[in-house]
Amino acid sequence: MSREPVTLTIDGREITVPAGTLVIRAAERLGIEIPRFCDHPFLAPAGACRQCYVEIEGQAKLVTSCTTRVAPDMAVRTQVTSELVRRAQAANLEFLLLNHPLDCPVCDRGGECPLQDQALAFGPGESRYIEPKRTYRKPIPLSPLVNLDRERCVLCARCTRFCDEISGDRFIELYDRGAGERVSIAAGEDFRSPFSGNTIQICPVGALTATPYRFVARPFDLSSTDSTCAHCAAGCAIRVDVRRGKVVRVLARDDVEVNDAWICDKGRFAFAAPDRPERVTTPLVRARGLEPASFQEVLGEIAARCRGGRVGILVGGRLADEDAYALSKLARTVLGTNDLDHRRAFHGGRAELLAAARPMSVTYRDVEEAAAILVVGLDAEQELPILHLRIRKAARRGARVFVLHARRTRLHDLGEHLLVRPGHEAFALERIREALAAGGDGPEARIAAALAEAGERAVVLAGPRLAEHPLAADVALGLAERVGARFALCARRAGDRGALRAGVHPTLLPGGRRVTDDVERGQVEAVWGPIPAEPGRDAMGILRAAAGRELDVLYLVGVDPLRDLPDPALARRALANAGYTVIQGLELGELEPYADAFLPAAAAAERDGRVTTWEGRPRPLRAARAPLGLSRPDWEIFVGLAEALGADLGLGSLEAIRAEAEPLLAPREVPVRSSAWGAAGPPQWIEERVLFTYPLLVDEGRLLEGATELKAALEEEPFAEIHREDAEALGVADGGWVRVRTSAGDAVVRARVGETVAPGAVFVPFNQPGLPVAELLAGRFTVGVHLEPAAEPAAEEVA
Amino acid sequence: MSERRPRVDLSSAVGAVASGMATILKQVFRRDVTEPYPHVIVPPPPRSHIGRHRLNRHENGLEKCIGCELCAFACPADAIWVEGAENDPEHPVSPGERYAKDYQINYLRCIMCGLCVEACPTRALTLTSYYELSFTSREEAIWTKEQLLEPPPPLGTDPVDREG
Repeated sequence: MSREPVTLTIDGREITVPAGTLVIRAAERLGIEIPRFCDHPFLAPAGACRQCYVEIEGQAKLVTSCTTRVAPDMAVRTQVTSELVRRAQAANLEFLLLNHPLDCPVCDRGGECPLQDQALAFGPGESRYIEPKRTYRKPIPLSPLVNLDRERCVLCARCTRFCDEISGDRFIELYDRGAGERVSIAAGEDFRSPFSGNTIQICPVGALTATPYRFVARPFDLSSTDSTCAHCAAGCAIRVDVRRGKVVRVLARDDVEVNDAWICDKGRFAFAAPDRPERVTTPLVRARGLEPASFQEVLGEIAARCRGGRVGILVGGRLADEDAYALSKLARTVLGTNDLDHRRAFHGGRAELLAAARPMSVTYRDVEEAAAILVVGLDAEQELPILHLRIRKAARRGARVFVLHARRTRLHDLGEHLLVRPGHEAFALERIREALAAGGDGPEARIAAALAEAGERAVVLAGPRLAEHPLAADVALGLAERVGARFALCARRAGDRGALRAGVHPTLLPGGRRVTDDVERGQVEAVWGPIPAEPGRDAMGILRAAAGRELDVLYLVGVDPLRDLPDPALARRALANAGYTVIQGLELGELEPYADAFLPAAAAAERDGRVTTWEGRPRPLRAARAPLGLSRPDWEIFVGLAEALGADLGLGSLEAIRAEAEPLLAPREVPVRSSAWGAAGPPQWIEERVLFTYPLLVDEGRLLEGATELKAALEEEPFAEIHREDAEALGVADGGWVRVRTSAGDAVVRARVGETVAPGAVFVPFNQPGLPVAELLAGRFTVGVHLEPAAEPAAEEVA
Repeated sequence: MSERRPRVDLSSAVGAVASGMATILKQVFRRDVTEPYPHVIVPPPPRSHIGRHRLNRHENGLEKCIGCELCAFACPADAIWVEGAENDPEHPVSPGERYAKDYQINYLRCIMCGLCVEACPTRALTLTSYYELSFTSREEAIWTKEQLLEPPPPLGTDPVDREG
């Protein structure tokens, strides 16, 4: 197809568009709205609803403009100039409405329904159909999240095409033909896709509706705010709908640079956590018990403890960029410590330094346009779902996808998997590097050949699994540099990249400047003033110091070390032995007995700010409602604490923070060899069986609290995924019970036996109901494990 | 400048005064039209819809209201609050899938225009002729679903009684 632009006329107006453009898109560019149902800019043309008829000069019959591509000198007439088209569109609407139940008053789509709107704008106004309408049983649940009302369906196939083309989770399909045609799902099957909510949003009628939004509000009840999803580092554009101060719905917004038009079900349905009764919205200070107090009192109390004391700060993955910057400055310049960390696992390598210093090394668009993609140590569907969709999009456009991971991921239908034991990724990457020169015909050689062929159109995406092993990410980076591929170290949580960039890190200052490097530290000191020169402790080091009574104040910001970090026994000792424990967050949870002071923070939907995507792209957060109670954005609390300590951070507003941070966070070059930094020795070849764990998309995380339907739809019971060889050697049957014993503890869980996990590795999801896997860990997210068949546990013992 | 006096026809002047006085005399002896409300309460015309709303029920006792919020959408004064919910199929509140979990009308806002009644797709909401709306607090001016489902009391009942 030639790429020359094409000139055509629509309703007598001339327009030039790229070759291959659909007539309906060309009309949009002229501002001519052709009615449509099945057409969607991110789905392939279908021509299913027949609503977008136009007349093309020289063609005997009307054509559907959503399937017809432009041609030179084409003369198109739409309903604006053609009476024939007008009549055809009205007739088609009358036809689509024949069996439509017109129960708009009880339909969730009423008021924002493309069928309502277009019937009003283009329809005949009256129907000649007087016979009884076809009826079906009113909504049938496709899953705990999605309801299907077949009476309302106009068979546009948007939902089924989304599942075929975008998510690949082909649960729903059009069954039968003619008047009996309908969307359906296999008997007994659940629409168990983490992207199922998108089908609801793109349904042009009320056939697919969301259970959590069922009968909750009408469009005119809602005040909507454009914001960014803060559940993971994907950074999806969302719209937050609030009714009377309560978030009732989240929708995806279109953004071709980030999320196209999609969001995952976690982003869509997990919004209730800030409204739970467990939320604490008043500052608390321990007197006889934890008692409500004013911010001034509590900050004054904390300041008194911090003055001259040794402070260690642990941070979760929830902070916005401005919060992270304010905290980094507070810790270094006012509290005089480098003991702060936001990480759950510890790279300390050059890849991390690059991620801190240089944003946007890989973008979504780079992924989409790549010729070869190597995903290492990342379960994209569960950890960065929208990146997963981009990888799928790239694969459909011809990219070759390889996944190097300890467990099979949902890319298995499009990409080649190389299952390696957790911790052995670096060895596999080394083998790929060797195969670049040596060739061969194993999977490593195939990956090497594909990467080398793609050259700069190759992308290497390194995920959180590589963070476990000091050099693994650097090995991946080395491989990428060797073939000229683009490389990104993908953070999982929304605040991770921003915190790393801002220097919420024991050895890195803003922009990846090293604390230990006098020149780099001097660049920050020029703005901030003096900074301690000795490197700080990492998260586990801070916990060990607190456990050893070396810290006067343990400051926990949006993190629960009992649940989030891989050594709860150490965390318990640290909390018990810390001189003074300050909790800042949405709620206290299990930390209540340890808290000496509590500072209530505003939730992401309650404040302005920015979050940084895994790419390094800043995305806006906007307040959809006021913070509950006395809670405040984290940065305001940090500024307040500095004031209580008699210091002025000079960060009085978000604008002031951004203005100060901008030059420090500008992309900078990183020395090729980073000295005195990182090298913690080569990874170890592990012979024993290892348990590894990472969080699945829907788990018992705090921000998922209250999302009942989402959990019912997607949360899994705890399980241990075991390779068939191991299971046979141990005598464990698929679906049987297995006892998992580590040096830290043991648990009995159901076994899943298959070839979906590397031999010698056992996968247990991180935080499933009834099994906080952290209790089995001893300082890392992989741990040596002993397995044995077990009897079914008694009811209360069930993991 | 000479002033021209109008010529007065004496006989017609006397007639005019007499007819004026006759009107006054007629009114003096006519029955009083002022209603001595609240001592005497005159029932409004039988089909008048001048008073507060009522939520109606079907003959089988189910509520006609389906919680669709069209009344709230039509309301120019934003006086109506509706929250929908799903019917329990075993114990439905209204026919069909949806019912009104909450329904409130704020009579400090309501302007009695009746657009809500016209918008109602199920004839669940109608106006009655009960016009005795007086309140002593803002809370009292917000009528709840339970209150609106009750038929209005006879005019002249102590307004406090409707709380029961």
